[in-house]
Amino acid sequence: MGVAIAIAIILLIVGVAVGYVVYPSVNPSKTTTSTAKASLTETGSSLFYPLMTRWAGNYSAATISAASTGSGTGQASAILNLVNFGASDGYLTNASSDNIANFPAAISAQLIFYNLPGVTAHLNLNGTVLAGIYDGTITNWNDPLIAAANPGVTLPSNAIVPLARADSSGDTFLFTSYVYMSDKAWPYGAPSTASLTSKDSHLTGETGNSGMVQGASTTQYSIAYIGISYMASAIADKLQYAAVGDNASLSASGGVVAANYILPTGGATGTIAQDANLGLQELDFGTYGMAVSLILGGSWAGAVNLVAGGGGSNPTAASPDPYPIVNLEYLMIKLSPTAGTQVSSSNLAATVTFLEWALSTGNWAPGSSPSTWINQVGFLPLTAEVTGYDMQILASVST
Amino acid sequence: MSTTPAAGGEADRREPLPPLDSPPDAARRPRRGWKGWVGVIVPFIPALVPAAIVISVAVTLVNASGLHNFGWGFFLPGSSANPYGVAVEIVGSFLTAVPALFLSMILGLGIAIASVVYLPTFITRVLDPFVDLLAGIPSVVYGLWAFIVIAPIFGTVINPWAVEHLSFVPGFARSIIPPSPTTAGTGLPLAIIVLTLMALPITTLLIRDALRSIPKDLWESGLALGATRWEVMRRVGLRTGSRGIVSAAFLGFGRAIGETVAVAMVIGVDARFPVNVYDVTSTMAAFMFENLDSAESHPALLQNLAELALVLLAITLVVNLVGRRLVSHIYAGEVAGI
Amino acid sequence: MATVLDSVTYPHGLDPSDDLRRGNTARLRWRTGFDRWIGYLLPLLFLVALVPIADLVWYIGKTALPTLTFTVISSQNSFQSYNALGVPLISTFYILGLATVIAVAFGLFGGIATAEFLSESAAGWVRMSANLLAGMPSVIVGYFGYFAFVLYFGWGYAIIAGAFTLGFFMTPYIFRTADLAFSSIPRPIREAAYGSGARPVQYILRVGAPIAFPQILTGVFLAMAIGLGETAPIILTVATNVAVPTNLSQGATYLTYLIWTGFQFGPHSVELTLAFEAAFLIVVVVIALNIVVRVIAARFRRRLEGLYQ
Repeated sequence: MGVAIAIAIILLIVGVAVGYVVYPSVNPSKTTTSTAKASLTETGSSLFYPLMTRWAGNYSAATISAASTGSGTGQASAILNLVNFGASDGYLTNASSDNIANFPAAISAQLIFYNLPGVTAHLNLNGTVLAGIYDGTITNWNDPLIAAANPGVTLPSNAIVPLARADSSGDTFLFTSYVYMSDKAWPYGAPSTASLTSKDSHLTGETGNSGMVQGASTTQYSIAYIGISYMASAIADKLQYAAVGDNASLSASGGVVAANYILPTGGATGTIAQDANLGLQELDFGTYGMAVSLILGGSWAGAVNLVAGGGGSNPTAASPDPYPIVNLEYLMIKLSPTAGTQVSSSNLAATVTFLEWALSTGNWAPGSSPSTWINQVGFLPLTAEVTGYDMQILASVST
Repeated sequence: MSTTPAAGGEADRREPLPPLDSPPDAARRPRRGWKGWVGVIVPFIPALVPAAIVISVAVTLVNASGLHNFGWGFFLPGSSANPYGVAVEIVGSFLTAVPALFLSMILGLGIAIASVVYLPTFITRVLDPFVDLLAGIPSVVYGLWAFIVIAPIFGTVINPWAVEHLSFVPGFARSIIPPSPTTAGTGLPLAIIVLTLMALPITTLLIRDALRSIPKDLWESGLALGATRWEVMRRVGLRTGSRGIVSAAFLGFGRAIGETVAVAMVIGVDARFPVNVYDVTSTMAAFMFENLDSAESHPALLQNLAELALVLLAITLVVNLVGRRLVSHIYAGEVAGI
Repeated sequence: MATVLDSVTYPHGLDPSDDLRRGNTARLRWRTGFDRWIGYLLPLLFLVALVPIADLVWYIGKTALPTLTFTVISSQNSFQSYNALGVPLISTFYILGLATVIAVAFGLFGGIATAEFLSESAAGWVRMSANLLAGMPSVIVGYFGYFAFVLYFGWGYAIIAGAFTLGFFMTPYIFRTADLAFSSIPRPIREAAYGSGARPVQYILRVGAPIAFPQILTGVFLAMAIGLGETAPIILTVATNVAVPTNLSQGATYLTYLIWTGFQFGPHSVELTLAFEAAFLIVVVVIALNIVVRVIAARFRRRLEGLYQ
């Protein structure tokens, strides 16, 4: 009797196995297998992950498996030939010594989300206030500094729960760049991807942008910095985003001018792409080795203006109110293959083909509008100058 | 022979047997050639596989950790000299496993006694496998359910209630910096509850086995003396089954301290000492699990993690060794896969 | 001579029957009443164990069943952007199948050898080692797999590394079951075989195996149920792959990996939908396997008893 059961189960398993093998030949349209399709891997920035999975899901010439592990891991994995693309929100300095190129792939932004029951308005927050919140000098939501920037909003008296990334994160880099530029006296120093929680144990740590969204939505009175690609899920979780202050909002007189606090939606992020003079030649990777477009007056050493003539205090006609925390997303790719690793010659060739697709179809839909996937994650497509720079990089890859 | 083989004892003892000499002709005794020795050794090799694996695990971890690097500083909380101190994780492991063991032993005792003493057989035949089924549910699934369903209950109902009513007890008061408890609900209490649920089937099964193997005459003699079932169980049963119960404690503790993924999902892995009972912290297993991928690029962290793995391995081996030694049957709970 | 029954005596040299003899009905009623009520209360503790598991199964079923259509199960789209379970199911099947083969290869012969060839003391040590291996946390085995197979052997984050790691994790369960199965073959049968001149290999293959086969099969199913639910050994040794792997050095995904990813991405994400579906499938398979194991084990026990006659 037991033998009968056993035989029945074995037949069942074999039947299922045979079914899976036979199924593609019975339904040829459902299969995605073809001969020798390259299998590429990507890891890194959680901010870039939603776009990468959308690109990968709609690109048929190779299978691309993405992972959301944080910008630091993306850089490290790319250097070690463990993946074909390492995604990072931060530029890798001295990339050429590791035979890597920083390949800008899209333009992203970062939002400040908060979970305040009963407050539905978009709070006005700027770098000084955020620095105070994250280093502990501002402890409650109804602090005078916050109230001054938000007249007419009833702020609760509860304590603020600041959330920070516990993993090695390009979002932390972005956020600390913004805060540092606004408040050089903030105690955690120059921007870096290192987690803030390791420097300050009173911050609650979350892993990945998705962890920040979850943490913020389940923790009342919390505040978190989250990438724009997670905006939809954050809003679905009843989080609200802030209007972020630019350069002019830092001075006492500019503190409550509504125009100096910019919402990330609508035209603000959109105006940037239209501006000319986006040449990467202007990038000064000097002190921080990162192309961060903090459009807060343009005088911050190492920052780059993606807007001609700077922004914020001297806006151009085309971009009166650019959103302050905007960034380039980089893919790290090797410039030559290493046999026996993931970065083999054929894989590298497939990588180049994919990147050409990403620059064209991935970024732009026919008719000079952003592709659906770029729109879905809230990013901006690359401009002509950046694309040109990227093509130079691709030409220099030897497969 | 008139005596039957079954009564052979008597027959054999009547006359002493002559002492065994060496075989009559030693030279003609067949020698076991090398093929014979192979035939003797080879069957033993597969039996050594589990031991070999355990030893390989230990050796690999020792090799990967480079034991000499950290010295005793390894155990201290992070400092500038050794930013990866693991005191937090070790404390966290014990802070979660010990209360979980305590709770699961109490519950396990209660359930086992109910099953052995009080409930009729037709009910226990149905209910006992259900409890054993708890052991089969994978850790991730527990963690997913606990995180999605139970954590909000803790965060919005249980923790605030405790803060409101129990804050006079040291450790139960709310903390502002760092904020604890938060409405997320993750942290020590939830982790302890999840670990209790996961250790419960083990303790229940082992205690039940221990209590069931009490000789029936002992049990009935106690009842015949006029003791109630509870009294017999308490005074006779628990004492007789004490080895099994202690073994259950050790093995349940081993499971609780080694539990990885479920704890990682509910403890809000944050490497800091908990400031009150609701706070988030980290355990050894959860910390190891979450940090291996970021250790790729940090050799020091990798060594640290390997050394932490050794600590956890040592604790688990000792606990399992003691726990298994206490039971008389060779494999406890083999059907439930414990 | 003091016996354990002495503990039933009460202080002051009384014994439990004293209350009845001396007519101390109050105390007697209290004792009996206490026993009665404890008898009602303790079974309620069963609920403490059963309610969570019922809630777990119910919630996962309720969340997953509406989304589990045949399209979802068979679709081979990228599970990172679509609700598609085809690739994870096939990959799980591959890895678990490989791991089971490895576990049987490493565990079966050892278990049989322990039951047949080892002396009781040596067998005691070997069984202790199997118990120790079974008690190792999954993350430790995962670390071993990472350091040994991914790094030292240089296999990288490949299926082969994951299969070996998971296989080593599953080995002790098959070892134990094989050992038990052969140990519980009735002595008369064993002695009859050896007495008829069988060599050990002949005994194992022709006499022992047919008798022990059902129980060993339960061991394999048990090990598969355990391997299906493991996360750490897989995540730490195998890289994600959105396509069905075509050779052993590629990465692959696993159902439990889907659950872990779903946890990371949280509500309103396709990852969490996949996580619940994967959790449902795993729970169903694990429960089914457990039931099958118990049925076969019960029949095996009855069969053994029959063999004794």
